[in-house]
Amino acid sequence: MIVGCGGSSSHPVPPPPPGPITDTDILNFALNLEYLEAEFYLRATTGNGLSAADIGASPGAVTGGTKVTFPTLDLEEYANEIAQDEVNHVKFLRKTLGSAAVDRPAIDLTAFAALATAAGITGAAPFNPFADENSFLVGAFVFEDVGVTAYNGAAPLLTSKPFLTAAAGILAVEGYHAAEIRTLIYESSIATPPNPIFLADANKISALRATLGGGNEIKISATTIAPLSSGSSLAFARTTDQVLHIVYASGAGVGSKGGFFPNGLNGKIKATAA
Amino acid sequence: MRNKANNAAELSETKLLDQILSRRRAMMFGGSALAALALGNSVFAQTAPPSDADILNFALNLEYLEAEYYTLATTGLTIDKIPTPIGITGPTGTTPGTVTSKANPMVPFADLTIKAYATEIAMEERNHVTVLRSALGSAAIAQPAIDLQTSFNTLATLAGIPTPFDPFAIDLNFLLGAYIFEDVGVTAYHGAAALLSSPANVTKAAGLLGAESYHAGLIRTKLFELQTASTPPALDIFKATQAISAARATLDGSGTSDDVGLSVVGSSATIVNADADSIAFARTTTQVIKIVSAFFPSGLNGKIVA
Repeated sequence: MIVGCGGSSSHPVPPPPPGPITDTDILNFALNLEYLEAEFYLRATTGNGLSAADIGASPGAVTGGTKVTFPTLDLEEYANEIAQDEVNHVKFLRKTLGSAAVDRPAIDLTAFAALATAAGITGAAPFNPFADENSFLVGAFVFEDVGVTAYNGAAPLLTSKPFLTAAAGILAVEGYHAAEIRTLIYESSIATPPNPIFLADANKISALRATLGGGNEIKISATTIAPLSSGSSLAFARTTDQVLHIVYASGAGVGSKGGFFPNGLNGKIKATAA
Repeated sequence: MRNKANNAAELSETKLLDQILSRRRAMMFGGSALAALALGNSVFAQTAPPSDADILNFALNLEYLEAEYYTLATTGLTIDKIPTPIGITGPTGTTPGTVTSKANPMVPFADLTIKAYATEIAMEERNHVTVLRSALGSAAIAQPAIDLQTSFNTLATLAGIPTPFDPFAIDLNFLLGAYIFEDVGVTAYHGAAALLSSPANVTKAAGLLGAESYHAGLIRTKLFELQTASTPPALDIFKATQAISAARATLDGSGTSDDVGLSVVGSSATIVNADADSIAFARTTTQVIKIVSAFFPSGLNGKIVA
């Protein structure tokens, strides 16, 4: 924001006060991320998105996302479970926030292609997480660790103890999901026959997330299924700013939209400051 | 993994996800984690709330237990005897308790990937011991006496698993032993997070919670894969984990089914251990102690012991 540059004015217009960040703002920030995850997993498993009852009165549109064909039954069962969990998180947060819940923002699920290109993933066709079951795992990987870092960063900011407990409970569920996805991606690389490309792609995504989101990444290997801080083995935490840079697929600097959120998040926490 | 061509019956499942999952969670008559926590607080309303140090020391007991289990399984040694030993003593004059396990407890891992996972978790649990001891400084408790031998039989009997149960015998037993601990760690940190007063300690607990949930997700995914492999083991892993979860739910005295084993319900897996809102369960310190008490033959160290 450009302020105070009108030299002729003795009373430059100050920026609007950002105001304190409340628990409601933080939960709404989380709700935006849950909308994104729910739309991704729901469309991958059913071909359809969230129902009208779960997206608010004036929801943004969702672009892209088609049902994935799962030749491997286990993978479909895993995906179905995660889809339901993310839908439940949307419902839970909307119920908790009541009339303060933000509507679903516009979501672009075709943004994976540009993100993958930025990560250095190359191929005959643009990367599409809905193309096949292994690509789906890489698409899921884009989100899962980020959810953990987002809730981990947000938990200590919440002033209400019940909200803290709820956020901790969602944090844990995202941790289960993230470990599951990382395990499956690792094991695809040692399957018979081995298929190392998806592990390589996921680790390129990890490197890009580190660039965009302030580090806080450990690539997947047999002995780094859990991405934890060196020495203390704590799950990483990210600020809302770092999370926004990842989901907006934007580098350092001021911004308020892009990537998976073409019109930005809904709610007070939506602009990157640095 | 199974190929869908062999599962035509399940392929025909075209129910909405909501219907499928409502069956999964209709099995549970328990309420939400929040309700459980609120109940726990009201029961102890007369007692002074525990300090942050008390809570971190409570967690340290659990981390000693986990670190010893995984380190013995991967090295055959206790955490104070490995090449880079971990401190286990308490304030001056407090000696650590004895760790009881079978002779040569190093697991003869047949699957080197499982061994790699175990090695990772072992290192991370040792780091958790170190990080908590460091945070507590001179207030850190010594390692309590830990039983990693007969203790499993107590729980195995409750869970209907043949005894004597040796968690160090084969890969699968090791994973089931890990299953016993990991979800409990998640519920313990989840329950403790809101009890901590210092934001720095809340951050630490949230980071530990995240780490334990990664471990739990890894262990549960691996166990699920073993059961659905083309040649599943003789022991039905789904039934065994369900029995362990049911035993934990009974032991904790919460009166709710706050624990979900592995299964396929409709066309969904149950990798995540969570309530009907897909929020992880939380347990009070008392509920956690009721589950793990068999592993601590002389009780926990610190102020929170019951």
